[in-house]
Amino acid sequence: MDRSSTHRRPDAAGLLIALILFVITGLIWWDMTTLQISSVYGPGPKAMPIVVASGLLLLAIANAIIAFRGGLPERESLDWKPILLILGGLAALVALIAHGGGFILGTTILFAATAAAFGRRAFLTDLVIGFVLAILIFVVFAKLLALSLPMGPIENLF
Amino acid sequence: MSRNRKGLWRSALAVAAIAGFVTSAAAQMELKIMAPAGPGGGWDQTARSMQQALTQAGIAKGVQVTNVPGAGGSIGLAQLVNNSKGDANQLMVMGYVMVGSLLTNKSPVSLDQVTPIARLTAEYEAIVVPADSPIKNAQDLAAAIKADPAKVTWAGGSAGGVDHIAAALFTQAAGADPTKLNYIPFSGGGEALAAILGGKVTAGISGYGEFESQIKAGKLRLIGLTSPSRVPNIDAPTIKEQGVDLDIANWRGVVAPPGISDEQRKQLVDAMDKMSKSKEWQAILNQKGWMDSYMSGDAFAKFLQNEQARTKEVLASVGLVKS
Amino acid sequence: MDAFIALANGLTVALQPINLLFALIGVLLGTAVGVLPGIGPALTVALLLPITFRLDPGGSLIMFAGIYYGGMYGGSTTSILINTPGESASMVTALEGNKMAKAGRGGPALATSAIGSFVAGTIATIGLAFLAPYLVDIAIQFGPEDYFALMCVAFVTVSATFGDSPVRGLTSLFIGLVLGLVGIDLLTGQARLTFGVPELLDGVEVTTLAVGLFAIGEALYVSSRRHLHEEKLEPVRGSLWMTKADWKRSWKPWLRGAAFGFPIGALPAGGAEIPTFLSYSTEKKLTKHPEEFGHGAIEGVAGPESANNAAAAGTLVPLLTLGLPTSATAAMLLAGFQQYGLNPGPLLFAERPELVWGLIASLFIANAMLLVLNLPLVGLWVRLLAIPQPWLYAGILVFATMGTIAANPSPVEIVMLSVFGVLGFLMRRFDYPIAPVVVGLILGPIAESQLRRALSISLGDPMVLLESPISATLLTIALIALILPFVLKGMGRFKAVED
Repeated sequence: MDRSSTHRRPDAAGLLIALILFVITGLIWWDMTTLQISSVYGPGPKAMPIVVASGLLLLAIANAIIAFRGGLPERESLDWKPILLILGGLAALVALIAHGGGFILGTTILFAATAAAFGRRAFLTDLVIGFVLAILIFVVFAKLLALSLPMGPIENLF
Repeated sequence: MSRNRKGLWRSALAVAAIAGFVTSAAAQMELKIMAPAGPGGGWDQTARSMQQALTQAGIAKGVQVTNVPGAGGSIGLAQLVNNSKGDANQLMVMGYVMVGSLLTNKSPVSLDQVTPIARLTAEYEAIVVPADSPIKNAQDLAAAIKADPAKVTWAGGSAGGVDHIAAALFTQAAGADPTKLNYIPFSGGGEALAAILGGKVTAGISGYGEFESQIKAGKLRLIGLTSPSRVPNIDAPTIKEQGVDLDIANWRGVVAPPGISDEQRKQLVDAMDKMSKSKEWQAILNQKGWMDSYMSGDAFAKFLQNEQARTKEVLASVGLVKS
Repeated sequence: MDAFIALANGLTVALQPINLLFALIGVLLGTAVGVLPGIGPALTVALLLPITFRLDPGGSLIMFAGIYYGGMYGGSTTSILINTPGESASMVTALEGNKMAKAGRGGPALATSAIGSFVAGTIATIGLAFLAPYLVDIAIQFGPEDYFALMCVAFVTVSATFGDSPVRGLTSLFIGLVLGLVGIDLLTGQARLTFGVPELLDGVEVTTLAVGLFAIGEALYVSSRRHLHEEKLEPVRGSLWMTKADWKRSWKPWLRGAAFGFPIGALPAGGAEIPTFLSYSTEKKLTKHPEEFGHGAIEGVAGPESANNAAAAGTLVPLLTLGLPTSATAAMLLAGFQQYGLNPGPLLFAERPELVWGLIASLFIANAMLLVLNLPLVGLWVRLLAIPQPWLYAGILVFATMGTIAANPSPVEIVMLSVFGVLGFLMRRFDYPIAPVVVGLILGPIAESQLRRALSISLGDPMVLLESPISATLLTIALIALILPFVLKGMGRFKAVED
């Protein structure tokens, strides 16, 4: 790959990364200024945030320079649909756990959504497989090993 | 996946075979006990021991233990206050550590909101120095602190915890400025102990149990316990009898959610009263080496209030809480 | 020679058929639970401890040792096969191990990990039996300033995981350092970067970050590129077993890994992660196949895996000789002792030698049992990769989230896991190395708190770093390691000019 001749244009995504690093630097700095208590002896809780923020600032600048020169690696086109499916599955899991839907239902949906993201078309079959897997995990870990997993309507049947 | 399933399956069989619990006479009560910490720690062990004692003594029909770890118990407490209001079957294990961490974490929920039920166990703090230290007793330590508090370094548990508070109280009682306390918090008991044994710090402070075997082996010198009077079975002087006024214990207890009726509260207190007297509970205390410090109902409520007030004052005096 | 006789006695106890059965059950249970990411050996032991309550002390300790080693083995297996580190100490294993598995070399990867663990575990257990009392005297001399210096050495070696761009590698490392700031400041109890979210007060869990970046990030990345080229996994390409070349490339890393792992594990605040970093970077420097690193080099599995195993045995040094529980697992082991009213400590070796030696013998047995059991099963394990891709990744996600939920049943934790998954995806897309993030999260907070402890004890005098001989030596090593590559490069250029 000969970058120097063909990709001399600024890379928008690269600049965005640099910008995000700048924002994080600012956040750390702002958070550091809100600390009220310092150590009596030796460096206090602000020292490390200052070091990290300074380093990150330099790196943000370095990343920005690389992006301006178009020095980022080549990227392939990407398919957003499977990503949204998987993240949707995770979101469903979070929502179900947060609102008392339980571990089993959430895991079932996550399993089926991920399988769909990887090209499976048999959503119902996958739901059944996920459901069986989730129940198996639940029985072993929550019932036999007394781990506390999030409870919901199905869990309460056991 | 086949091998994995087989493994799980076999473990299932083994667990079922070995762990077959025998439940005695059934009672009416169904309880849920929350340990506001991960599995394995002190609160978790307390919750699971209560589960064992309550079911085996036939005080409750079923007891379910849940873990809500995080932030020294603040997250568990928030859940108890916000999600379990009025639930008379819910209990939460807590302790003195929670009193301090709620203050340093600036927690939005407080222990004033819960219904105090009972104090169960306590452990006194021990102050130790390396065996070759010139400090022989509490007076020596107090004198060193009075001379220059900065040069007396303390190793103990997390900032704002019971170890830290006890060290601050000692400094105060020794007549020195507690804001000058040079306290070095360590994350685990082992790490602090290593620093004391290696002579990296002047003194160490933690629960007596943490130091017991080192003291017996002669690697650490026990300066004293933070108990008001001598503790049975432990051959050690108190700090108080050596003329430094210090009285603090790391206790554990249980509370119920807010919004339960007086009658429901009485039921829970009664259950705890019964449990504390049961031979099952006493056997557990014995096995785990926990000191019984049972106190329930109004007495515990009052005690809890006093501890909160005192802790707030101490933490403000060492500058960990801005008042 | 007393130690030999005592050990032989311990072995005869451990070799009784009923005790062998307990060891077998322990190893199976430990492996089964330990494969869950997020559930490391400590939690595995915590969960299974009640089962051992019901046995006599000898049998219980033996089952215990089995569970412990089984849990560790389970963690490495998932690292290699599905890129999901079961615990922070097997994170490095995933770097090369998973690349090997994807190239159809999962069999040799699992084998070198199992044999390496056995070799290192055995060496470390022998070290424990014969060197413990001497080693502990040195270990206890390590003060906060010395740990800080050790962290400096570790930081310098991290560059081995940077890939080809220093800027991108450092960016990754600093993201890890930022994540390490999140939570309660250990020394003053104040919250940093928590933005009022109480769940963040305890900081970022290393396994949540590692599982998010590695497992979830990978799933997102692979799924987003399926339309370009289908990823075809072949469970076995070439030999299922280690070839002669594999053996030749593995045995030195095993020994070096044990040499890193055991002493650092024996330090009260040493941990099992740092030896794996040191081992990885050493192997990368010493290998004759540097081009394979990052694409599945067997040395990168053999070294770190034996290092973390040796470190685990190392943590038993302070535990048995001083009663210091220096890791979560050691703390659980302490609980295991306490259920029989035993307090490990300076007197345990003298008062209850049969139990101590019984435990050490059980470690040998468990280690051997694991090897005997798992080597024949390597073929079955790698067949996991033959599961159709949609179900394989769906299963990985279920296990990843399940492990996280089991360790901390809070929706916030899953949100964090997902955010780290997206981060892992973006970092893969823009070619930022992933391992330095985890390294930063592990090392940053330790370095910070140890330095602040050292300076608090010295009342702010930085000279303490040079006054301690241990610290001064380690800092010199770090400095040399930092400068040497530049010097060598310069000399190489000089030579080239001369030619």
